[in-house]
Amino acid sequence: MIKMTCATALIAATAAMPVLAEDITITVWAGGSNEGDHYRIENIEIAADLLSREAAIHGEELNITVEGKRDFDGWDGFKQAVTLGAEANNAPHIVVTSHLDIAPWASAGYIVPVEDYVDLDAWPLNNIYSNLMDIAAYDGVQWGVPQDAESRPFFYWKDTFTQLGYTDADMAEMSARVEAGEYTLRDMLADAKKAVDMGLVEEGYGFYPRVSNGPDYAQFYQSFGGELTDPETGKLLFDRTAMTEMYQFFVDAVEAGVTRKNHIGTEWDQWYSEVANGKAAFWHGGTWHYGRYTGKEGNEDFFGTIGFTLIPAGNDAGRANTVTHPLVYLLTDQEDDRAEEIAAQLVAIASEPRLNTLHAIKSSHLAIGKAESGLDLYAGDRWASEATEVLLPHANAQPNHPSYGAFSEAMFKGLEAAWTGIQTPEEAVAEVEAQLTATLGDELIIR
Amino acid sequence: MTRQTLLGLGFLSPALLAVVMFFLLPVVLTVVFAFTNMSTSTGILGGAYQISESDLRRLPAAGVSDEAVTLLEGAGYAVQPETLALFAAEFGEDRASELEKLHGGATFDDRRAMERALKELRRNPLRKVRDRKTAAELFRVSILGQRFATEAEFQTAIADLGVPDPDRAALTTAAYTGWTFTTQNFELLWKLPATWRYALNTVLYVVLTLGFNVSFGLFLALSTFYLPTRTAQTFRAIWFLPRILPPVLYVLMWQWLTWDQGFISAMMRPFGIEPINWMRHTATHAWIFIVLINGCVGASLGMILFSSSLRAIPETQLFAAQVDGANRWQQARYVLLPQMRWPILFITSYQTLSLLTSFEYILLATDGGPGRQTEVWALAAYHTALSNYGGNLEYGLGAAYALGLVIIGILLSALYLRFFNFRELVAKPRIEQ
Repeated sequence: MIKMTCATALIAATAAMPVLAEDITITVWAGGSNEGDHYRIENIEIAADLLSREAAIHGEELNITVEGKRDFDGWDGFKQAVTLGAEANNAPHIVVTSHLDIAPWASAGYIVPVEDYVDLDAWPLNNIYSNLMDIAAYDGVQWGVPQDAESRPFFYWKDTFTQLGYTDADMAEMSARVEAGEYTLRDMLADAKKAVDMGLVEEGYGFYPRVSNGPDYAQFYQSFGGELTDPETGKLLFDRTAMTEMYQFFVDAVEAGVTRKNHIGTEWDQWYSEVANGKAAFWHGGTWHYGRYTGKEGNEDFFGTIGFTLIPAGNDAGRANTVTHPLVYLLTDQEDDRAEEIAAQLVAIASEPRLNTLHAIKSSHLAIGKAESGLDLYAGDRWASEATEVLLPHANAQPNHPSYGAFSEAMFKGLEAAWTGIQTPEEAVAEVEAQLTATLGDELIIR
Repeated sequence: MTRQTLLGLGFLSPALLAVVMFFLLPVVLTVVFAFTNMSTSTGILGGAYQISESDLRRLPAAGVSDEAVTLLEGAGYAVQPETLALFAAEFGEDRASELEKLHGGATFDDRRAMERALKELRRNPLRKVRDRKTAAELFRVSILGQRFATEAEFQTAIADLGVPDPDRAALTTAAYTGWTFTTQNFELLWKLPATWRYALNTVLYVVLTLGFNVSFGLFLALSTFYLPTRTAQTFRAIWFLPRILPPVLYVLMWQWLTWDQGFISAMMRPFGIEPINWMRHTATHAWIFIVLINGCVGASLGMILFSSSLRAIPETQLFAAQVDGANRWQQARYVLLPQMRWPILFITSYQTLSLLTSFEYILLATDGGPGRQTEVWALAAYHTALSNYGGNLEYGLGAAYALGLVIIGILLSALYLRFFNFRELVAKPRIEQ
């Protein structure tokens, strides 16, 4: 009884006393972020302001200071900083990173599931496209929240296309034809060869692919019928035929004089300026390239000069496709549970359609949720709306599998060996297969 | 121990400490890491115990019986008398009885579904997200995805779950998320065809670069030796630039030189030679430039060392040779070179060891391309342990690569000492005996 009285008195005293202010600092590190991506951090700041106001209505004083950092020495430097920080127990509260980091970081215990703190069925998280939410989940647990969406289209230069004999009506139908598998990578190769032969573009500029490894090359594997994982077991899948045909496609492109043999490793700056100004007939990139082409590279008439489609199918076994590689907000494991909780709430608020639209339009990314297309800022942006319509419904992501990094590196190394003529496609595939069998063992299915 | 010895040790201690921290410790750690499966996934400082969904299919191979797997697989959340009692204790009898009425005996696969069930409480709803999270956890019956900090906690959890005794040890081993000791890195290196290619690349790289920088360094030293001092110094200063330039800037200049639109291509165009990327066109192109880029850096060091030792040779010997009618070439061949054995040995062994482990210029120039043709052993170690777009860095395997280098380095040092008769070279001069 005495205990209870004391407790009641204590509660009464606390209630009567002025509320103690709670000061908390939340750090946010955003990897792979350029000048235009500042809303990755600023949206958390806006969210902090909103959350403080919500707390004030409850009569609590919650002061959140957000410290952001996005100038890292590339992805490698960023990932090392985060993992070593986590080992030393001073990781940033929130990180913006590739969804591929979820599997290894979850297993290492660096991150905590966002679902521990927020209601996934409540606004605004229930507004996020479910396929994007799935990309931020691993092993049945919702680890993160998608920060942005993008997809990787195939581009062509309209002038060159017209000179190849296509009409405006043909171009209007292109994305539908690609989607239906009527216009394939082989057709593209023939057109690119024609463009080179006719002197519309220089030799080596018929098809001008990405200059370094990245999710883009998984798309070509899919174009030739490859699948990245086995849906039943979740194991990684190595499709020998698809891989060989994909390698062969790039070898043929080099042999036809359409693609340069030493293309890999071209400087990015050179690459951007060339594709944005019509030096190449066909190339592929990402939705965020729009900002670069029309901004720094000075292409003032994007829609008049550049057409875009899905990555065409390579053969009958494959399909037209595009990979989306969203960045995600992840929460790191902290000694202080309260900091994790606040960080989770900030991430949820930052996913509000209005806030995310700021990022999407500013950085030429795509929406993460349905409601964004209803906002004037988003709907009024031709690129965002068209790209969302043509590309996003067909986008799939790379798997969150701890060994996917090894798979992707090996696949690209093999491609590079075949592309540069060091090995034949068959030899390159055999070596990649041997290497992956040795390193992945039971986690790989070979088909 | 005398005071003098102590004082001596005291003076040495900062140096000793530095040697231990910056030389010995990295080698020891490399050895330790090389025998582990350490990666981003396992973490560095240790792990926890956890069985997640994707682990289930790996368990039979790890020696866990199907019976135990079925037990672990069981539904995640269950509304049953035991869990309801826990719920009642924390959130009140009335809520518990309402939930029992709504979902008594039900099971849910994941927490989200459990939370949805809890949202259906009408009489006295759980309004706060946090409360629903806490409540949902009370109904958890599966340990899938749960992280246990210690082995004991995990053991208790699987015992509570009813996992049969014989399976527990294998299950605990499989559940450990941290790194373990293993020799698989070396087995893997042995098996991978790429390992042998990288080893061959390394030999090619070291031999060619070493040949270039020792002979070129010697050439520069000899050719500036006969020049007037001021002119010689100017030349040496110019040739020393590659060594003092920041590597990124230095390689960038080579890139400008060799791009398709670079200097070489522009110079060759009037002669009807198609512009190509001279550094990356073929493996041979790449090798030539790798050797030149690294060779010029190494040659400048050799030049300085050789020049100073040439100047230590008494001039009178050259005068004598001149009197005997020896020309410049004969002077160099019969007077100078024989006395250069020690500096040549030093530069050769020093450069071999530093070239073995150096990869920064290759990383910046070709990054091992085209087609991994210029990927050397040290670069492979870097790529494996510290650079992966997909996120999972393999520290253990990278350390195994590095350990190979450490061993080869030690063996080569021993060989050099033997071959160049080091003991004789550092012997006390006879005159002092």
